[in-house]
Amino acid sequence: MNDLLQRSRRPILVVEDSDEDFDTILEARRRGGIENRIVRAASAEAARRLLPATPEGEAFAFVILDQNLPGINGCDFLREIRQEPRYRGLPVVLFTTSINPRDCAACYEAGANAYHVKSVRFDECLRTLQEMFDYWLDSAVLPELQSGDVRKMNLP
Amino acid sequence: MTSDDLQKSSSLPYPYSVKQHGVTITNCDEEPVQTPGCIQPHGVLLALRATDLVITQASQSCLQWIGAEPLSLLGQPVSLVLGQDIAHRLRETVDREPLERNPFYIGTASLLSMSLADVTAHTRDGIVLVEVEPTERQRSDVDYYQLVKRAVARLAAAPTLDAFCQAGAEEVRRATGLDRVMIYKFHPDHSGEVVAEARRSDLHSWLRLRYPAEDIPRPAREIFKRIGVRPLPDAAAEPSEMVPLVNPDTGRPLDMTYCALRGASVMYTEYLQNMGVAASLTMPILREGGLWGLIACHHYTPTRLPFEVRAAGEFLGQVMSLQLKNAEERSDLEYRSRLDVVHHDLLSRAARESRLAALLQPSPSLLDGIEASGVALLHRDRWWTAGAVPDEAQLEDLSRWLVTLPELGDPARPVFASEALASQFPPAAAYAAVASGVLAISLGVGRRSLLLWFRPEQVQTFTWGGNPHEKPRVLGPHGLRLTPRKSFDLWQEQVRGRSVPWKPVETEAALRLRLSILDLVVSRAEGLAVLNAELARSNEELDAFAYIASHDLKEPLRGIHKYAHYLLEEAEAGAALSQLAKERLDGLIRLTLRMDSLLDALLHFSRMGRLDPGYERVPLKTVLDEAVDMLGRRLDENAVEVRVPRPLPVVECDPIRTREILANLIANAAKYNDKPDRWVEIGFFDPDEEAPAFYAPQAAPDGARGVTVFYVRDNGIGIDVRHYDQVFKMFKRLHSRDAFGGGTGAGLAITKKLVEQHDGRIWIDSKPGEGSTFFFTLTGGDSGIAESSVR
Repeated sequence: MNDLLQRSRRPILVVEDSDEDFDTILEARRRGGIENRIVRAASAEAARRLLPATPEGEAFAFVILDQNLPGINGCDFLREIRQEPRYRGLPVVLFTTSINPRDCAACYEAGANAYHVKSVRFDECLRTLQEMFDYWLDSAVLPELQSGDVRKMNLP
Repeated sequence: MTSDDLQKSSSLPYPYSVKQHGVTITNCDEEPVQTPGCIQPHGVLLALRATDLVITQASQSCLQWIGAEPLSLLGQPVSLVLGQDIAHRLRETVDREPLERNPFYIGTASLLSMSLADVTAHTRDGIVLVEVEPTERQRSDVDYYQLVKRAVARLAAAPTLDAFCQAGAEEVRRATGLDRVMIYKFHPDHSGEVVAEARRSDLHSWLRLRYPAEDIPRPAREIFKRIGVRPLPDAAAEPSEMVPLVNPDTGRPLDMTYCALRGASVMYTEYLQNMGVAASLTMPILREGGLWGLIACHHYTPTRLPFEVRAAGEFLGQVMSLQLKNAEERSDLEYRSRLDVVHHDLLSRAARESRLAALLQPSPSLLDGIEASGVALLHRDRWWTAGAVPDEAQLEDLSRWLVTLPELGDPARPVFASEALASQFPPAAAYAAVASGVLAISLGVGRRSLLLWFRPEQVQTFTWGGNPHEKPRVLGPHGLRLTPRKSFDLWQEQVRGRSVPWKPVETEAALRLRLSILDLVVSRAEGLAVLNAELARSNEELDAFAYIASHDLKEPLRGIHKYAHYLLEEAEAGAALSQLAKERLDGLIRLTLRMDSLLDALLHFSRMGRLDPGYERVPLKTVLDEAVDMLGRRLDENAVEVRVPRPLPVVECDPIRTREILANLIANAAKYNDKPDRWVEIGFFDPDEEAPAFYAPQAAPDGARGVTVFYVRDNGIGIDVRHYDQVFKMFKRLHSRDAFGGGTGAGLAITKKLVEQHDGRIWIDSKPGEGSTFFFTLTGGDSGIAESSVR
């Protein structure tokens, strides 16, 4: 496996206010044997504070973002962070219950990298998440980080 | 052109004499009616030199009435004919009175033949014209003063022009005793119409008969602008010629314009005789210097028309002239208000039925308004008609032509009136019988939106059957032409393709109707816009519902599914019920309860829009107490103090909805509060009070000014200004679902809807960390609006 295809070890930011749904994400991580840490923000405001880096100073591999959040919704949060150059390259994946096409279009317009719908069926949710992890942690080549320290840390 | 010029340029002999020459149909428009060279033979006309009152011209009738050859009188002093007394009085009158063109009664003279005669005199261009008419010794005992007084009162009181004319005809007949008195009105084309008539009961009516312009030719019409009365006591009498025909002093034929004895045109006398009329008396009705019409009196036997009868007739003619304008205005006003009443009723019905076509439904319809025989409405590419109208293809064709007219393109007065449609739009000749006249207004709200009134060709509106004048009794030398039958034929030719003209009062009423229709259409459009806005909002709400169903309701469902999945997995593994499994079962229960409360809120929100508020006047304090009771335990748990700084007013509102508004806002205030001493304050501001700025208040929204503003204020956590709109959205929460005791996020959405059902507004003033104030108004009842208008 060459450098570029090396699985990212960086943490994943999950912006999710529902405990049940967050638990599902954790369950998918556990079942998929994903080693990346998951950092939770229960609202857009909390995510805003966490985004620059984890308390340990790590940058996020990608963001799983719920649309319907207390206060600022996911789409507005996304549009806001895309204003900042340093978050333009950050993959943000919507994971939401909304099947409203207006929401979907608005999120892509705001700069979403993908839009996934939460199924009521638990196993389908797990599968969606598994694919999401596989894709964003394995298949996709993520942008190089600006911070040299962090990049070195991820190299073998 | 003076009459003299006219005569010199005409084809008629000069000097002219009715007796010697006469006119024909073809040259009667040139007839020198002012200088006919002859007088009527029932009196004597003498022309005197003004300086010495010496006779320079005398009528041949001198022989009959004075017993002297006219020639023998020339060069003699007038005293020879009138006697010293009258001659003396004449001298004085000529010197002192304004006799120029103004006949003056001098006295009654004893003529040479020993008969009595009334003597009148006037001057004209240095000539004294003396008219001598034999009279009877006894005066008539008719009280002319009473007659005239009564007539003036009746004329002044007549409500319409028709009634005015009728009163005029009747009063003139009462004063003159003549067989038939007609009010003959000139139309703009100088054709005439009998608009009122008083007659001997055995005579047939000539009311509404029409005559061509030729029947009263231009010279005759001109002369009637100058004289007050025109007597013709015996149409059949042989005219009496002046001797000599030319005045020796002026070298011109004698101008007899102001002479009562002036000789009549043979055309006129023949016409009268062909109708069997033996005598006539005619007075002009003038309007603003123009000849509006005539008072035409006919008598079927030769009669005397003594001075006082003529004076009464002349006076009544003048009274009618003076009062005509007022009568027309009264009539227009009456017509105008009648039209407005009819139009208003029709519009009300159209508004009630929400369709313009209601204007054309029978009784009443537009046909009961402006006098027309047909009406057509073109609206949204459809025709509606009432009465007699062209067929739809013809209407289409006509409308396409009409909309190209600049008159109908005038934005302020898009009206077009034609009384001869086919002359402007030849295809209309095909339906001239029903639509020779059209009055059109553009409703201006569509490409082709028109309202049309139609009038038939005038000849269609008259029936001429059974008239006694069908067969003239005796025909004069000009034959059939000088009969009403032929007059009518001629008139028919002239008005072919023409309708009765549209009056200004009618076009104005049409324009007013147009404005009202536009108001109606616009208000309907506004109504539709309001409906559309409501629909858009309810569609948005529906969208929100769909969204809610797909999100908020699915979320707990997903959790339920997951826990069930886990339990199933454990069951498959054959393990005993673990602690974790118990927790998951608790989760299941919790989620089903949450779903239940979401569904309740949703149901409540959707049902709320169904019923209109029931307004009552209730003390707001009572409503507040109920709301606080309702909240009960929840307030106790939160340990909130409810403050009311000053007595609350009596409010016109739906008490149940208002209670819920207060309960929701108070519950919210109690819930989102992290202070140790929590309070919520309920108050109001009168329309004339300045609402204090608690924090940084938003300006009161439109529709919330000038009305009482209520507020619910707290010292809670506050709301960031960016969320002011969000908080009112269904199921929108600002905080995670377990913070501040949780909730569905429906409370404020429901509150906003309840306020809007009162036509009220709700808005927020808040500072995060310090507190929030929710302002709202309840204007749906009388409370807000009515009070503010009183203040």
